[in-house]
Amino acid sequence: MNRGMNNIVVLVAGPFIIYAILALFMGAIPGAVLSKTSPGPGVMPFSPQAQRGRDVYVSEGCSYCHTQQVRPLKQDLVFGRPSTAGDYAYSTPQLLGSERNGPDLSNIGSRQPSDVWQYIHLYEPRSLVSMSIMPPYRWLFQLKAHADVNDIVVPVPPGYAPKGAVVVTTQEARELVAYLKSLKQAPLTSRAKR
Amino acid sequence: MTVTSARRLEQSTAGDIKLFSAFTISATVWLLLATAVGLLLSFKFPYPDFASSPYLSFGRLRPIHTNGTFYGFASVALTGVAMYVAARSSGISLWGKTYAWGALWCYNIAATMGTITLDLGINNGDQEYREWVWWVALFFVGAVILSAISIIGTVANRTERDIYISNWYIIGAYSFTTILGVTAAIPFYQRGLGQVAVQGFYMHNAVGMWFTFLALGTTYYALPKLLNRPIYSYALGILGFWTNLIFYPIIGAHHFEFSPLPWWFQTLAIVFSVGMLVPVFAGTGNFLLTMRGGWERIRRSVALPFIFVGVLYYFVGSFQGTVEALRSLQTIWHLTSYTVGHSHATMYGFITFIAWGCIYGLLPKATRKQPNSLATGLHFWMASIGVTLYVLALSVGGTLQGIDWAQGDPFIASVESAAPYWVARAVGGTMMFCAHLLFAYNVYLMTFARSRESEAAPIVAGKATA
Repeated sequence: MNRGMNNIVVLVAGPFIIYAILALFMGAIPGAVLSKTSPGPGVMPFSPQAQRGRDVYVSEGCSYCHTQQVRPLKQDLVFGRPSTAGDYAYSTPQLLGSERNGPDLSNIGSRQPSDVWQYIHLYEPRSLVSMSIMPPYRWLFQLKAHADVNDIVVPVPPGYAPKGAVVVTTQEARELVAYLKSLKQAPLTSRAKR
Repeated sequence: MTVTSARRLEQSTAGDIKLFSAFTISATVWLLLATAVGLLLSFKFPYPDFASSPYLSFGRLRPIHTNGTFYGFASVALTGVAMYVAARSSGISLWGKTYAWGALWCYNIAATMGTITLDLGINNGDQEYREWVWWVALFFVGAVILSAISIIGTVANRTERDIYISNWYIIGAYSFTTILGVTAAIPFYQRGLGQVAVQGFYMHNAVGMWFTFLALGTTYYALPKLLNRPIYSYALGILGFWTNLIFYPIIGAHHFEFSPLPWWFQTLAIVFSVGMLVPVFAGTGNFLLTMRGGWERIRRSVALPFIFVGVLYYFVGSFQGTVEALRSLQTIWHLTSYTVGHSHATMYGFITFIAWGCIYGLLPKATRKQPNSLATGLHFWMASIGVTLYVLALSVGGTLQGIDWAQGDPFIASVESAAPYWVARAVGGTMMFCAHLLFAYNVYLMTFARSRESEAAPIVAGKATA
């Protein structure tokens, strides 16, 4: 073995081929096969507006603190039913996440359906949850002296609202909230029949 | 080695020294930038409203910190050392220096464009350690290939009969990372859950097949060289090489335990995570047995204490990784801050300390310019205490988070439980960052500063086991 590995061609090619095979079977093939997972019952593609909101979510790195995977564990049931493979058919890039500095959002559209709550929370999380460590996303909003007819005014609680101006949503904020509201876990078939 | 070949080598090493210095300087710049970002991030936990413009927001800066330390700092620092080790252990000057310089450019182009795009919110979907969009990642893969050409060319043209064990690991690192980078960067076959499978494979292999192999390979050269004694066991080094190669690629799915990835796929990853104890025991045992009885020499050395801490954290971090992979413990620790503590035990305690040990051990020998001993001592203690505080704080804080969730407390209770430990983490992080400033000063002394011992004896090049 040692004598063979003193040959540079063997030393380079041997491990290269072994790793290439392992990469094929542990990375590429599972990736390609699982990419073909068909959507679960009731799992629908995102609307164009929600899809653009998903892009905002990705862009701002929301999934560094919010997972989108409900584990089949008792402590996760507060976030929804356990996630299934079919839930992710339209979720590219995948946003399962690795850390919960904030709650899981797999089913946030059902758990918090109010867009007013989402707008206020995005503008200043601590105005709603005093111990929250979520960053404020002020750049998704605009300050105006007077709201126009078509503007959505965010009723920021006193003490957090800017003085002499109103907070109105930008298109990104509306898209992001449309995405959050669209995150509703489809009921599993057995439950749907009941 | 004949007198003439020694003289020829002496002349040709000027280019090697310049490359080694350039890689180290470049890596240091990225270390300062990426860890300044990390420090800011750690203070955003207690002060979430601080620096809340989009370009300084948590979600954009976090991947800048992780990719900057991985690809701007650690990859470049270890590649500089690896090229120097390949040349010295082969008894020749580095082959294909143009490729090596090209590699340095590509690493920096990738890290610069990666940082800019991430700060503009352009990313590859929040997928840890591969947030760079594919065309930025390809510059990094290009840099890996260029480094590989230079290193393989050097080993192929060696004057020594045997290929030293360091070069097994080093060449392996570049081969594996080329395959890994291509597998991960090609976007078209990865959708939804398939992308999750590739992500688990990628994020674990980027650490295991790239940084671990580079750090082990350079340690197999630097440790015996600095202790002036042979490595304890060549056979253990070979055992570690093959078991790392076979076991590591199988364990990626343990990052997604309890996810909808196939259950057997997760179980397979857990089984081989336990199997990882074999290469970890082989590596750490081999290094510690090489050090045995040399403590006086380690204590008086500038570089060896860094390698000693690196080896200890290799053991602690890897053992922790195996334990974390068990399902019973993942129910508590998964998705908490515990994981972030673990990644700093390995990427900082292990990889970064080994890189520093190799740089402090080999760069002054090459440039004949010494670092400041007070600054080095302070660097060592502040970084060691800082990272230990960091890891302990997040291990305790993360465990509390997991227990709160298991008890069914409201989510915000876990935030309150972890909050004091996040502050302790920021304190540890501050010490680590101050240590980096001292390291940067020492890098200046070892490269740019005027030599104070130009009349010193010329370096004697030879193989590590000499």
